[in-house]
Amino acid sequence: MIASESTVRVAIVVLSTIGIAIAGYLTVTEFMGEVPVCAAGGGSGCATVANSSYSHLLGIPVSVFGLAGYVGILASALIPGESGRLGGFLLSLVGVGFSGYLTYLELFVIDAICQWCVASAVVMALLLILCVLRLLTPDAIGSRDAMS
Amino acid sequence: MASRKQQKEQAKAERLSQEAEAQTTQRRQNRVRLIAGAFAIAVLAVIVLVVVSQSGDKGGSASDVSGGSEVEESLRGVPQKGFTLGDPKANVAISEFADLQCPACKAFADSELDSVIDALVKPGKAKLVFKNYVILGPDSETAAKAALAASAQNRGWQFVELFYRNQGIEHSGYVTDDFLEAVAKASGVPDLAKWNSDRDRAAWSANLDRVQSEALRLGFDSTPSFNVVGPGGQSEVPSDNSASSIEEAVKAVQ
Repeated sequence: MIASESTVRVAIVVLSTIGIAIAGYLTVTEFMGEVPVCAAGGGSGCATVANSSYSHLLGIPVSVFGLAGYVGILASALIPGESGRLGGFLLSLVGVGFSGYLTYLELFVIDAICQWCVASAVVMALLLILCVLRLLTPDAIGSRDAMS
Repeated sequence: MASRKQQKEQAKAERLSQEAEAQTTQRRQNRVRLIAGAFAIAVLAVIVLVVVSQSGDKGGSASDVSGGSEVEESLRGVPQKGFTLGDPKANVAISEFADLQCPACKAFADSELDSVIDALVKPGKAKLVFKNYVILGPDSETAAKAALAASAQNRGWQFVELFYRNQGIEHSGYVTDDFLEAVAKASGVPDLAKWNSDRDRAAWSANLDRVQSEALRLGFDSTPSFNVVGPGGQSEVPSDNSASSIEEAVKAVQ
């Protein structure tokens, strides 16, 4: 049985808040010139990833894009109706696609794993599942504002 | 038999029912179109992000080797003989086992090396020895031999630091003669012709084999790895490879 839309929206709010915390931490450490605390990869994985040439896009830390994405998904969960559903779906799909690319880089190009990036990728994947569920809830399928 | 009025009402009901059904179908089709549109936009956005990410400066460019003055500043006034940096009489030796193509080694060079040089090497508490531990294949071996040839002219550390600052993506084929020559030139190798012919010296292969054996004996299976030796014995550095961990290891063997 598919959960009600309100339940799914609450779950999206919770998960996107966790995502904001992770991306926010990475953004703050980046701007403070510090290396994130890292328990995985012998402790040096996060430093390697943070210092790699892939850690910035157009000069902006990748974590800033992640932070913006999570904030957008959180906002979409607070917006009722089809625009909120589609917005969350769109953002989480972009998030999962880009997280997948970054994970590939960690595993096969940078040769280092950052636990925070992995955690973020998992949160984003769960958010995509929730956003798809939100699209499929009976409320969404039967909604008249689908056309609005 | 139904009256005319009843027939009219029935036809009207049927028409309304068909209209409602058509509306539902239309709504469903519009919704599918919206979702498909969102999906397409998302895919496009990911492609753009990946292209932008790949098109940034990834190093490894022979025509754009940079950082020479910063490296010169970092090593200014520090004695250097071969690949030994610092006072050769320092009673503690820090050996760095590193591969020039390795991103983690670059990360160490970028964020920790200056602290190690300032805190330990410049005050004469320890000397720092670079050992080419080739773990990433033929391009790393080519780079290591070029670095050794630079070290023969006492510019090995400049070469290594500059290589890391301009490091490309491993196995991407950026370790070309042109790239290595650009790094050697920017490192201030005084006799480039000699450096070029020295790169093929048979002695370097023996050197790399020796380092390989030593690293394996010490149990090192990744780079960078550090071994600290002093009057108090030998100490390995925790794998966080931070300057503070290296300082602790030096204290432990002084």
